[in-house]
Amino acid sequence: MNATAPQTDPNGQRVLIYHLRDVVKRYGAAGNDFRLRVPSLQIALGEKIALIGESGCGKSTLLDMLAFLSSPSEAAAFRFRPEAGAPPLDIAKHWRRHAQNALGELRKQQIGYVMQTGGLLPYLNVRQNLTLSRRLLNMYDDSTVDELARHLGIHRHLDKLPHQLSTGERQRVAIGRALAHHPAIVIADEPTASLDPLNAKRIMALFMELVDSMNITVIVASHAWRHVKELGLRRLSLQVEHDENDGVSETVVTG
Amino acid sequence: MLKRFRDLLWLAGKDYRNEWQMSFFSVLALAAVLGPMLILFGLKFGIVSGMLDKLVQNPANREIRNTRSAHFTRAWFAEMARRPDVAFVIPRTRRIAATVQLRSRQASRFVPAELLPTAPGDPLLPAGMPLPSDVNEVVLSDSAARRLNVGAGDVVEASVVRQYRGEKERVHLPLKVLAVAPPAAFARDGGFVTLDLLEAIEDFRDGIRVDRFGWVGEPPPATRYYPGFRLYARRLRDVAGLRAALIDAGIEVHTRARDIDIVQSIDRNLTTLFWIVAAIGLVGYTLSLSASLWSHVDRKRRELSILRLVGFRTGDIVRYPMIQAAYTGLLGWALAVAIYAGVAGTINRLMAPQMEPGQRVCHLLPGHLLLALLLTLAAAITAAALAGYRAARIEPAEGLREL
Repeated sequence: MNATAPQTDPNGQRVLIYHLRDVVKRYGAAGNDFRLRVPSLQIALGEKIALIGESGCGKSTLLDMLAFLSSPSEAAAFRFRPEAGAPPLDIAKHWRRHAQNALGELRKQQIGYVMQTGGLLPYLNVRQNLTLSRRLLNMYDDSTVDELARHLGIHRHLDKLPHQLSTGERQRVAIGRALAHHPAIVIADEPTASLDPLNAKRIMALFMELVDSMNITVIVASHAWRHVKELGLRRLSLQVEHDENDGVSETVVTG
Repeated sequence: MLKRFRDLLWLAGKDYRNEWQMSFFSVLALAAVLGPMLILFGLKFGIVSGMLDKLVQNPANREIRNTRSAHFTRAWFAEMARRPDVAFVIPRTRRIAATVQLRSRQASRFVPAELLPTAPGDPLLPAGMPLPSDVNEVVLSDSAARRLNVGAGDVVEASVVRQYRGEKERVHLPLKVLAVAPPAAFARDGGFVTLDLLEAIEDFRDGIRVDRFGWVGEPPPATRYYPGFRLYARRLRDVAGLRAALIDAGIEVHTRARDIDIVQSIDRNLTTLFWIVAAIGLVGYTLSLSASLWSHVDRKRRELSILRLVGFRTGDIVRYPMIQAAYTGLLGWALAVAIYAGVAGTINRLMAPQMEPGQRVCHLLPGHLLLALLLTLAAAITAAALAGYRAARIEPAEGLREL
């Protein structure tokens, strides 16, 4: 499988969908503090990223920051540029202004999110779950959803409710839901961790195929590199260090 | 904005239908509180308004009579007539002087009858009934008309006697019967005539000259005094104030204020009682709904987080449980109204033999049902607002990874 060539702007420069510099997130209870530090992170439009780190090291925290779901504690720069033709947006400034609704709007349009499990509304059938974001964005009901469903092998289940599906089928629907509105980026938090190895491999491959064909940037978190190394992803690692000075466990993002 | 609200309505509705067992029981719980309240209020309203109707329909309850004769001038009557709480006022002549002997060609006997002064707007006579406008016209009481065996269009003869200069003198007056008053208007033998006629008869009795009829006598005094009045308050609740004003002016009066007071205090007490019961029910319902919605938010964390994830705003998340509570409020109210309608219908059917036609024991106006709906929605939405506030405080990231 080929890695999609990162997009460039008219000057031949790579377009950075994410540009983070010295971003820090502190979390955890008193006396048991954790710190996630991102000295520098640049993700180009169209890139495919694997975020590798052990469970509990702060992968989800980083993903939530990238999805504007949680705020950075400090940020020298946190810019988001979902389209090559548009100027980058200052996310750090949005957070400083508590512009949660603007961030929600941005997330609605530009971001697809796949969770480890669930992520589907139990009271909507598969078709309604798939079209949820499109519906909220007033997007015309074209053949995208049906094609996606066929690709993901769930077109027979369109009228079923999530609880009538197997875990694997539900994950396929969750992937479809995250892609259906053509976001600029899809963020997936261990999307296949709850599946058996064979199923996991098949669904992950399908997922990568889809983001490739739709030309969507993707960040996949995984606790083991071997699960994703054949898929042509760029590796970002999270390393846990113990800071002797202040006794805080620190995770540093490198790669 | 509107589109987002429509999406929210749709999602909240889908969720509500999907969890139909829970929704169904919350609707039942509401109807179980609201239904009996509607019935209770329906009974209170039906019974009390039945009693009030009876009071209002009977003008005698609005009547104020003076108990001791006095000297009222025309100016006093003009002043009384101007008061907004006075519906009808007309002078009375002396009672003794107002009694005449009636006779008709259709009956052989004399019928002693009391003449009452009347004028347009007389509350004792139904609207639209022709009223005497001249001294030769009368509206007979039902009893008098029966005993004289006459009806509208017939002519009766009134005769009046006086002792004048030592001699007994009798005059006869033909009176055209314009109509017969309903039995409730005046239970004894009597007739409604113009004040002019009553004044003429009184003058005749007093030996005063009446030019109109060619009756001889002394010249009339400069000012005419009336010993009493026929006075009706405009509304039942005006009676007390009018009575107080008259007593203040040194006029002793009699009213049916006690009867009115009794009904009004029954109304007040029952209303208080009802509101106490309603308040207990409403507060209890709001608290229990509030508690169940509060814990509901726990079960809904993931789903609410997903809504956050796909771009719903904090305000939308607050509104989500409120919309569902409004669904419960609306459906519970509809069910309560149905319960009420069934029970009220049964009560009214069972009690029909004891009631007058058209009167209902259990009765509510559309406005009452609307008020019930508004109160229910307000209670339900208030209860849900707390839960919504709690839901909105869930960090979007927090609800996502809970298993």
